[in-house]
Amino acid sequence: MSMAKKLQRLKKHIVREEPPALKKEEPPEGIRYWDVWKAEGAEVFELDDEYCLTRETHYDIDTEHGKYTFKDAQKIIRQWSDFKGNHPLSAKGFQPSDLFFFDIETTGLSGTGSVIFLLGTARIWGDQVTVKQYFLPSPGNETALYAKFLQETDYSTLVTYNGKSFDWPQVKSRHTFVRDKVPSLPSFGHFDLYHASHRLFKHTMESVKLVNVEKEHLGLERVNDVPGHLAPIIYFDFVERGDPEGVLQVMKHNERDILSLITLYAHISSLVLRQGGNADDRISYELGKWFEAAGNTAAALQSFEQSAQSEERAVASGAAYRLAMQHKRNRSYEEAVSLFLRVRTSGMEQSIDAAVELAKVYEHQWKDLPKALQETRWALEQDVEKESLKHALQHRLQRLEKKLSK
Amino acid sequence: MWKKTLADLIAELRDDENVIHWHELEPVEAKTRPLPDTIDEKLRQALETRRIRELYTHQHAAFEAVQKGENIVAVTPTASGKTLCYNLPVLEQIAEDSTSRALYLFPTKALAQDQKSELNEIIEEMGADIKSFTYDGDTSPAIRQKVRQAGHIVMTNPDMLHSAILPNHTKWVSLFENLKYIVIDELHTYRGVFGSHVANVLRRLKRICAFYGSSPQFICTSATIANPKELAEALTGSPMRLIDNNGAPRGRKHFVFYNPPVVNEPLNIRRSATVEVNRLAREFLKNQIQTIIFARSRVRVEIILSHIQELVKGDIGPKTIRGYRGGYLPKERRAIEKGLRDGDILGVVSTNALELGVDIGQLQVCVMTGYPGSVASTWQQAGRAGRRHGEAVIIMVASSTPIDQYVVQNPDYFFERNPESARINAENLIILVDHLKCAAYEIPFKEEEAFGPMDVGDVLEYLREERVLHYNGGKYHWSNESFPATNISLRSATQENVVIVDQSERANVKIIGEMDRLSAMTLLHDEAIYLHEGVQFQVEKLDWAHKKAYVRQVDVEYYTDANLAVGLNVLEIDRTKEQPVSAIHYGDVTVNILPTIFKKIKMTTFENIGSGPITLPEEEIHTSAVWMELEMEEPEKSLEHLLMGVANVLHHVVPIHTMCDRSDIHVSSQIKAAHSGKPTIFLYDHYPGGIGLAEDVFKRFNEVKEAAKDLIQKCPCDNGCPSCIGMGFDGMDLKRKSVELLDQF
Repeated sequence: MSMAKKLQRLKKHIVREEPPALKKEEPPEGIRYWDVWKAEGAEVFELDDEYCLTRETHYDIDTEHGKYTFKDAQKIIRQWSDFKGNHPLSAKGFQPSDLFFFDIETTGLSGTGSVIFLLGTARIWGDQVTVKQYFLPSPGNETALYAKFLQETDYSTLVTYNGKSFDWPQVKSRHTFVRDKVPSLPSFGHFDLYHASHRLFKHTMESVKLVNVEKEHLGLERVNDVPGHLAPIIYFDFVERGDPEGVLQVMKHNERDILSLITLYAHISSLVLRQGGNADDRISYELGKWFEAAGNTAAALQSFEQSAQSEERAVASGAAYRLAMQHKRNRSYEEAVSLFLRVRTSGMEQSIDAAVELAKVYEHQWKDLPKALQETRWALEQDVEKESLKHALQHRLQRLEKKLSK
Repeated sequence: MWKKTLADLIAELRDDENVIHWHELEPVEAKTRPLPDTIDEKLRQALETRRIRELYTHQHAAFEAVQKGENIVAVTPTASGKTLCYNLPVLEQIAEDSTSRALYLFPTKALAQDQKSELNEIIEEMGADIKSFTYDGDTSPAIRQKVRQAGHIVMTNPDMLHSAILPNHTKWVSLFENLKYIVIDELHTYRGVFGSHVANVLRRLKRICAFYGSSPQFICTSATIANPKELAEALTGSPMRLIDNNGAPRGRKHFVFYNPPVVNEPLNIRRSATVEVNRLAREFLKNQIQTIIFARSRVRVEIILSHIQELVKGDIGPKTIRGYRGGYLPKERRAIEKGLRDGDILGVVSTNALELGVDIGQLQVCVMTGYPGSVASTWQQAGRAGRRHGEAVIIMVASSTPIDQYVVQNPDYFFERNPESARINAENLIILVDHLKCAAYEIPFKEEEAFGPMDVGDVLEYLREERVLHYNGGKYHWSNESFPATNISLRSATQENVVIVDQSERANVKIIGEMDRLSAMTLLHDEAIYLHEGVQFQVEKLDWAHKKAYVRQVDVEYYTDANLAVGLNVLEIDRTKEQPVSAIHYGDVTVNILPTIFKKIKMTTFENIGSGPITLPEEEIHTSAVWMELEMEEPEKSLEHLLMGVANVLHHVVPIHTMCDRSDIHVSSQIKAAHSGKPTIFLYDHYPGGIGLAEDVFKRFNEVKEAAKDLIQKCPCDNGCPSCIGMGFDGMDLKRKSVELLDQF
């Protein structure tokens, strides 16, 4: 009998339901300022010689955070089920509780020696939002920290702010140190709202840091917030002295970040779901480009239709150009040409490209060589910077002249 | 006019009266053994394709020993097929088990890139799915992940290992879990400060391997030095088997000692070596014979380059003679290396930068401007000429310095002497502490854990008190916001290099090179003439705070030479050897270094044509020193000359006995030392914390003393000359007194 079969047979004897560890009434020795922690609702989790602290905070679903309540957020997430086509942030088929809002605090920038001392999570559960934070009381307790975190965590999709390049790689790195003693990291989907914000808001904002996005787009203003970059110093001071005052502020900061992720996800989802109907022209245009990149042509068209009417000339001509390209692909040349003509005379950066496109349609579709020649000449009279484009235009010019001279 | 052949030129050289010694190295036949039967079939076929049906004896021995699980260090002269010593066992292992990984360390990025192309050719011929990559600052972020996860063979340098790979080991799990071999090429370059750093980097590497459950074998290759096994063991902390049965063939070599004629009989002054080198090199170059010229300093390289370019202007194009040294940008260097291989470049003037295994193909002639400073270094430079077959000429042109004169007048000294030992001091406290920090950053440090032979408990406690580490659960954890590796440079005491900015054209300001801080003090001060690729630049402004030197192209008839003022204070005496009337001490000192003035020296006559002040802040270092205190009744003036003379001789002799660069150990004399009031000569390590050179001198003082006496006594001059204790001491009888002085110890 093979070992695998043997094990299968003996399974009942080998795998036992382990009785849950008895929860101690008294905190383990050496937790300084336990009264303060206790008053803040902290609990202790022990594993062998290590321990970590956790804290759970509940918010009623009707709580407002910025311009949405959590209930609004829940509703918007459910609306994805009616959405047609693809979108990178689509929560179609998910329950709101499947989303796992996540943010960490570390002792430094990336690198193996930078330790995560706080893992913060939030979930929308029934009629409340539950924030759960896992805190590392000092280096050397990471087995306890990750054992507890992974024991309680079953998620299908992470929602983060720059988590793809920072938070999650950092979790992976620290997990490597304790991987023999704790469960492995599950695989999951990941919505990184930093990338989404960058797409939609970068044109109108100097920096798309989360606090700035909150202020500009979510109607949130932070009061008495500890800036994130002070977190390492505060943590080291805590490890040294044990007084949780500063760390509790960092935990508050972390909680705000996570709650804002809920609001931000709701806000961006609502922009996407209404295809820009509720947004300004610039955002509508950027939404269109996003749909286009995701291969969702129908939604892209709708967004471009709206933004092509914009009074902001750069937005209008950008949208009109992309709209025209869509029409061209659909062989609707009449619409395409009228839009390209508008763009060509707009004086904006796409006007040369529009002239090139016009020349192509005139030459190949409508066989109107003089007009094609006229557009090509016009383009060459402009200040064409790209050498390859200049070259292609000259080539086109020669070919057209040759055809015409026959 | 007919071009002369190499044979013609050799014949002419035999008649040259300035040639004072001619040593012929007979050709050597290859010694081989059949390929081991166990070799993987694909690998065997790939070797067949390159017509390798047998292995040289050293390659064979290396393969067998590695198969047995031993760590090896193979001593391999230039062009003896050393790469097979490691490529063969590594490829064999990966062919057998494709999860295996190997890490190759080369002292420079350039060598890694060279080796990658060579290795990839064999892999391609094997038709095997073996991936080898270089990982350095040039590796694009797009393929970094692939290298980390899928690279069977990762080629990098110690600096990259130190600052990028080890501190991010969690991204390299598949490498560290499966690491079978660590290859260290050009082992002999890891000596002194750099070697001491690398030994600690390797301790960190072994620690990380242990964490991931691997215990790789080391395969090292080294040029000929006296103590390859000892060095390899000190660097890796592992026992080594020495492989030194070189079986590679060699063509006939003519090793010629050339002493320039005396131009001032009473003062025993000879014609400048540079002038003679220019003349000799020109003969070879204008007859289209590929020649490498070595010079000892960057400035000297540039001076010789400009002269030779001028001399051969009519015969061959100026772009076929190039300079090569540290400070050129990598792209420039790659182009020069390729030009030499392809034969587009006929001549190259280089510092010892080309001693290393950079592939520049086979040259026919090597001319050295002066004795390179060590036996090992001389043989490596000589190895650049005539690699496997055919005749080659090596000419060493002596300068007037004591040691050059000693070497060319006592050929036995050189030809019968063993090469020097290479030393490191991995326990230098500054270096050790730096790497201990990195180690704790990488993986928390267990209380009982070892890091080399020294007990590091006190260091860890110290770092805990400094709040750099946090002690918890039997381990020291990194508890600081910073990333320790970024502030630690393996190459030099000074972390920041000075960037050289050429602003000759206002519209085209560009960076043309860089230089370490201590060198910059004497080479890039305001008004210094800086030479780059034979072009003169004047430093308009050295911005010390921002580490930038702004230069502009000029055309002048002089170069500049800076003076340093050195102050010395004894902090603590560790050991003393008392002699009847004198004493030798070893201990800690502080050294204060301040550049004072610079001189303008005319290029054609080498006369002093002006000077100016240098205003730069003082540098202070704590280091180890050995010093000789004596009792001597002597008028102050002649005492000063006497001390300087002996110090000068010692500065020449000591680097030869400790295998370090002359710039690693410095000498200073005081007629009344600050701490004792006695006449004293100091020798100190030019690196914070010391690197064991002064200690070595203390231990082997008799050897050093005898060599110094011998040099002075054998010098043919009457009353001192530039080739021994210096000159201008007529009537003081200093030559005899110097020997007497040395006899006191």
